[in-house]
Amino acid sequence: MATTDKYNLKNPAVKRILMEVKEMQSNPSEDFMSLPLEENIFEWQFAIRGPQDTEFEGGIYHGRIQLPSEYPFKPPSFMLLTPNGRFETQTKICLSISNHHPEHWQPSWSVRTALVALIAFMPTAPNGALGSLDYKKEERRELAIKSREASPKFGTPDRQKVIDEIHEYMLSKAPPVPENLKQASEENPGEKEAEAEGSENAGRSANSVDSANAGGERAAEEPQAAVDNANANANAVDQREAVPRQVRAGISNQQVQQRLAPRNQRPSDDRFLTWAAVGLAVAIVFLVLKKLVKSSGYDAIFLRES
Amino acid sequence: MAKQQEESNSNPAAAAAGDWENFRDDDIMLQHSAIRAEQADKIPFLGDKEPLSALAAEYQSGSSILLEKIKILDEKYSAIRRTRGDGNCFFRSFMFSYLEHILETQDKAEVDRVKANVEECRKTLQSLGYADFTFEDFFGLFLEQLENVIQGTDASISHDELVERSRDQSISDYVVMFFRFITSGEIRKRAEFFEPFILGLNNATVDQFCKSSVEPMGEESDHVHIIALSDALGVPVRVVYLDRSSCDTGGVSVNHHDFVPSALSSGGSGLEINPYITLLYRPGHYDILYPK
Repeated sequence: MATTDKYNLKNPAVKRILMEVKEMQSNPSEDFMSLPLEENIFEWQFAIRGPQDTEFEGGIYHGRIQLPSEYPFKPPSFMLLTPNGRFETQTKICLSISNHHPEHWQPSWSVRTALVALIAFMPTAPNGALGSLDYKKEERRELAIKSREASPKFGTPDRQKVIDEIHEYMLSKAPPVPENLKQASEENPGEKEAEAEGSENAGRSANSVDSANAGGERAAEEPQAAVDNANANANAVDQREAVPRQVRAGISNQQVQQRLAPRNQRPSDDRFLTWAAVGLAVAIVFLVLKKLVKSSGYDAIFLRES
Repeated sequence: MAKQQEESNSNPAAAAAGDWENFRDDDIMLQHSAIRAEQADKIPFLGDKEPLSALAAEYQSGSSILLEKIKILDEKYSAIRRTRGDGNCFFRSFMFSYLEHILETQDKAEVDRVKANVEECRKTLQSLGYADFTFEDFFGLFLEQLENVIQGTDASISHDELVERSRDQSISDYVVMFFRFITSGEIRKRAEFFEPFILGLNNATVDQFCKSSVEPMGEESDHVHIIALSDALGVPVRVVYLDRSSCDTGGVSVNHHDFVPSALSSGGSGLEINPYITLLYRPGHYDILYPK
């Protein structure tokens, strides 16, 4: 590889980055592709495929990665270039939202881990995090369709070449955006979490608030679980998790049974979450009505005690 | 902002960068590096050998119990070597103490023994699902240091060079990270054994504990880390405690605890284990102690 000659292999960061490049090339994924620039191995381009069964399905989202000179002791930075309705473009993605707190970044993670995490976080609720967007599903789907038409124009001709190469590869791997957006039978757990948080202000009268909160917290851990699996064997990832079905992260063929086992119990949790959300919605409606009634002075009719 | 522009001018690749610097991740990291810089001004990763009187001088106007204890330490120990208080002090102390011991004794049998243990740890990490490339560099760098302290090859290093290397971030941090991988692998491998300790310590699962308190750089070490590292490498460690506790009987004594690898202690050889790594623990910090 041409890049090898130009860099000081004594530099541990360079050595590590070259190993990651090699590893990426020998274990290609259908869900993402990432390449360093010829002229600067600390600058990468990437594209991820929108996760299946979400409004991002079929979308091809390009972005840049910048690796710090202290890599892998310091985390990489990510920035998206393709409009997607979830993350702002040309703005660094705040890693804190992905549980990748920069102070807890660890050298056992990699660009691959971070990309898998990024895919997993696309369908989660932004909860107002910096650099996050909360577009409607239809808008996101429009953007997903548009994302396939052409690769984003960015940077030097050399960089553009890398972007285009990645785009071609991803087009060959990613099936088109589905005709009809499936009725979202399973609502996004992240959204429920947001609801639960919102309703805390409304009142604690409903028991379901607390239980939904607990569920929400658990849901928030799922993408983190996906991250674990990324460096292990992602083929075993439960389909219901936020990660697309075929994250071929399989670096090691060895199963990590004991680390995966406890996470395969999602289905009942999901059902529980759905009921919790229904309960929550009822509680909110009730509270809002109560408030309206109160403010309009007709409360005595409905609620004698107040 | 001016600084940012300057950077993008000087670096064509970053010219298109725009807003890399504006996020709260960067604020957090800036604060972290500011704290580290402050520590770095005070002491290098590894200090010089100092007489115990230097330790006593620190407490001149302080607690009389501590001064009493330092007097007792003075009977058994000749010197102290400080390490930087950046959360990695246990691992840095362990690294230097161990390599210094090998350098001084030229114990090749011990080198072979520890290498075999390192290989075991490599397999452990692989079986836990760690990708090779994430730990390979760190293993390589430690094994290189281990070989270099053995004299008689072109790559052999002197004691001074060992000190120098231990102060060089690109070596010291890599060895620290190597130990963190070893520690995390051992804890995960024997999760059932470590679980109750970890639950008692900070109410976390083994996985959470490894992720938040073992693998990230700068996270302080506790007895769990020491047990795991000592067991995994088969290296006994003595920790001498210097704190304000005193005996009920009025007499002052200095406690120590020997962390003896399970492989050695269960051997039933009846031999008294004499750890050649001795660390001085003061709440929140480890330094190296030299016995007389």
